[in-house]
Amino acid sequence: MAGVCLAGWWLYGNLVDNLTRTRIPTDFDFLTQPTGFAIPENFGFDPDLPIWRMVLIGVQNTFLAGLVGVLLASIVGLVVGIARLSSNWLVARLAQVFVEGFRNTPPLVVIVFFSFAVFSFGPLPVFPEALDLKLPGSDSNWLVLSKSRIGIPSLSAERHVGLFWIIVLCGVVAAAGVWTWRSRRHVRTGEPHHRVLWALGTLGLVVLVAFVSLGGPYAWSWPARSENGRRLISGFGTSAAYLSLTLALALYTASHIAEVVRASILAVPKGQSEAAGALALSPFQRYRHVILPQGLRIAVPPTINQYLNLVKNTSLGTVVGYADVTNLTRTSIGNANPAPQSIAVLMGVYLVFSLVISLLLNIYNRTVQLRER
Amino acid sequence: MTATVPPDPHASGDHPGPPPRPTAAAWARENLFNNRHNSVLTILLGAGLVVLVIYGARFLFVTGQWEPVRTNLTLLMMGTFPREEQWRIVVQVYLLCAAVGLLWGGLTAGSRDRARDAGVPFSRARLRDGVRRWWPVFVLLAVLLGMTRTWLPLAFVASALALGVVARRLMEALPEAGRRGAWFVAGVCALAGWQILSGTGGIAWWWGSALVAAAAVRLTRNVRTDARWQPAARLALVAGSVAVVWAIYAQLDFGGVGWDDWSGFQLNLVAAAASIVLAFPVGLLAAVGRRSQLPAVRWLSVGYIEVIRGVPLITLLFMGDLFLGFFLPTEDPLSKVTRAIAVMTLFTGAYLAEIVRGGLQAVPRGQVEAAQAIGLSAPRVLGMIVLPQALRAVIPALVGQFINLFKDSTLLSIIALTEILRIRESIHGQREFLIVGIAETLVFVAFAFWALAFTMSRESQRLERRLGVGER
Repeated sequence: MAGVCLAGWWLYGNLVDNLTRTRIPTDFDFLTQPTGFAIPENFGFDPDLPIWRMVLIGVQNTFLAGLVGVLLASIVGLVVGIARLSSNWLVARLAQVFVEGFRNTPPLVVIVFFSFAVFSFGPLPVFPEALDLKLPGSDSNWLVLSKSRIGIPSLSAERHVGLFWIIVLCGVVAAAGVWTWRSRRHVRTGEPHHRVLWALGTLGLVVLVAFVSLGGPYAWSWPARSENGRRLISGFGTSAAYLSLTLALALYTASHIAEVVRASILAVPKGQSEAAGALALSPFQRYRHVILPQGLRIAVPPTINQYLNLVKNTSLGTVVGYADVTNLTRTSIGNANPAPQSIAVLMGVYLVFSLVISLLLNIYNRTVQLRER
Repeated sequence: MTATVPPDPHASGDHPGPPPRPTAAAWARENLFNNRHNSVLTILLGAGLVVLVIYGARFLFVTGQWEPVRTNLTLLMMGTFPREEQWRIVVQVYLLCAAVGLLWGGLTAGSRDRARDAGVPFSRARLRDGVRRWWPVFVLLAVLLGMTRTWLPLAFVASALALGVVARRLMEALPEAGRRGAWFVAGVCALAGWQILSGTGGIAWWWGSALVAAAAVRLTRNVRTDARWQPAARLALVAGSVAVVWAIYAQLDFGGVGWDDWSGFQLNLVAAAASIVLAFPVGLLAAVGRRSQLPAVRWLSVGYIEVIRGVPLITLLFMGDLFLGFFLPTEDPLSKVTRAIAVMTLFTGAYLAEIVRGGLQAVPRGQVEAAQAIGLSAPRVLGMIVLPQALRAVIPALVGQFINLFKDSTLLSIIALTEILRIRESIHGQREFLIVGIAETLVFVAFAFWALAFTMSRESQRLERRLGVGER
């Protein structure tokens, strides 16, 4: 024990000695210095803003890639995992090829492939001559495709936005009320509840009425390029770097999640499925009401690990120039900011990410776990 | 003690023979068109698949520009390894093939003998099974050989494989007593290969002395000594062999190419292999430390494991690249490759610790209590009772970790080490390949990783089934 302490003290002493010798500051004052460089794809960022603001933007970008990646990976993973157990030989085999293909390829290679082979050197045109895909019978685009930037439609706020959302919130409350009413009625009279349809119908009706009566609080903003073709003036612009990173990580993680899903479904005793079949449940109902709820319980802990891996892997975006927190920190170290403290901040950011994700999902895990007496 | 027979995957087992093969039409009706739903799916996916296969085949055989890969094949595999020292790699591969052949033959012969003792029929693994299990590796070899311009590599690979097969046959033909010596020869072959490649400089003497010390201890095992003096005598033996080997190495000057000069795919393989081997003691220590009674040791282990597992490898690699040398007194004495491998070792150690912990938890308490009851000391309980059982259960997870590490070795390109992905990038800096074959080189790199990782993962699943992990 004493040896470990001594070794730690020795290492720390060496670090401080070396830092003072090379005149690298040993405090965290650099965080309030101006950043000194612009952030790609972030036109609102002023290089004079302090470094901690830069770190926040990096965190935001990491979060954006992680969130979309996790959602995509979950959906694809679930579908592929179920497909692997399909009774259709072709479906099962294709799913297996997908899983084994992505699982055994380095994610970095996949990211680089998307970024370079699909986008930068791919068949798409450069941005000033971007491919504008028109809506049929209209002059506006629904998609602007180019090597470096991709424009998709977005919603632009027009009028009464606040009021609209308040009404939507009321609609959600009403839908929840309808849900309980249908459930109670089902319990009381035994007639089919159809509570999902009822609740969604209520919500949809409220939103529709509010939207029409407020005269359209939101309008589509179709992606369009400026006169000289260099900027995207409307719609939502996303960079090729972001797309490559998110898609590649989503597919890579989906292959892992698919295996988790498959193993969890196989872990549900066969009798459960057969019993559901004996009750004349359709295959969909069998999955929805019998197999998936039980498999989920087994699947949650390993899936948490996969989500954590995905968020950590977003750091690979630095290779394709995505402005995530690792990439920005690296650039900032290149601008003569002290490396040890910068890396410490970076590690802190990732540790917080890991802790928050595992905390949230562990809480969720507790709600789905079997409650034993 | 009763002889235990490992389950033999090739024995026909007690299953009745397979049911008669259905006709193609019956099979398709059963598996592709068994209801309306599946028929629609089959037709849609089948059409998509046909289009995909046609495009893929066109890309592979017609439109693909493989010239960048073909021209730079040696660069991709070995990078900047000095060309006049290439014979070292050749010798190492021969020695490794011989070692693997001996090892494999020994395993086959061992299970053959056990099967004979137990009166169970034994059938050797057939070539067809080998091809079925290892086809990605063979395809990779075929691709590599197909791209070379001379016949020399073909002759080299063929002779190396032949050497392995001969070594295996030799080992199988040996009687049991002779096989024990052959195990040692296999170890010497593997080690000598490493030494010839990396030379005798640096800390290379460490490997040689470890082997000689192990051999010395084993050979003197039956020499009777007073029990009191035995530990001291052992220690003296080990220290003596280390000293002798060190002295010999200090006299030798064998040149060699250390890992600082390795690059290309070789660096990926070596970085992954070296890190997992070096990380093993680290992981073991951290796993045992996590179960320690002393709170300080426990918290230290937990802190190390959780911090490392919570951050991406790349941040640690940046740390290693930028200021790992700052933790040491002298002015940055470590090379870039050494620092990277040190960081990967630290990283893997934390994951191995968790894997080993899982194995430790799987050992029933009764085992420890029984060992204590017969009076074993705490280190012996750990070393003789707990760890052998725990490690047996975690072998598949270790292979999985190695695969991950192998894939993660591509991250070395980010800190400007010339591993295969970095070399691929530099190929497109050559004037004639600036925009030629971007996708092709990437597909080649991806396939090289895929072939090895896929084969390893399947072998580890096989091992898992054979070890019966999770069933006992």
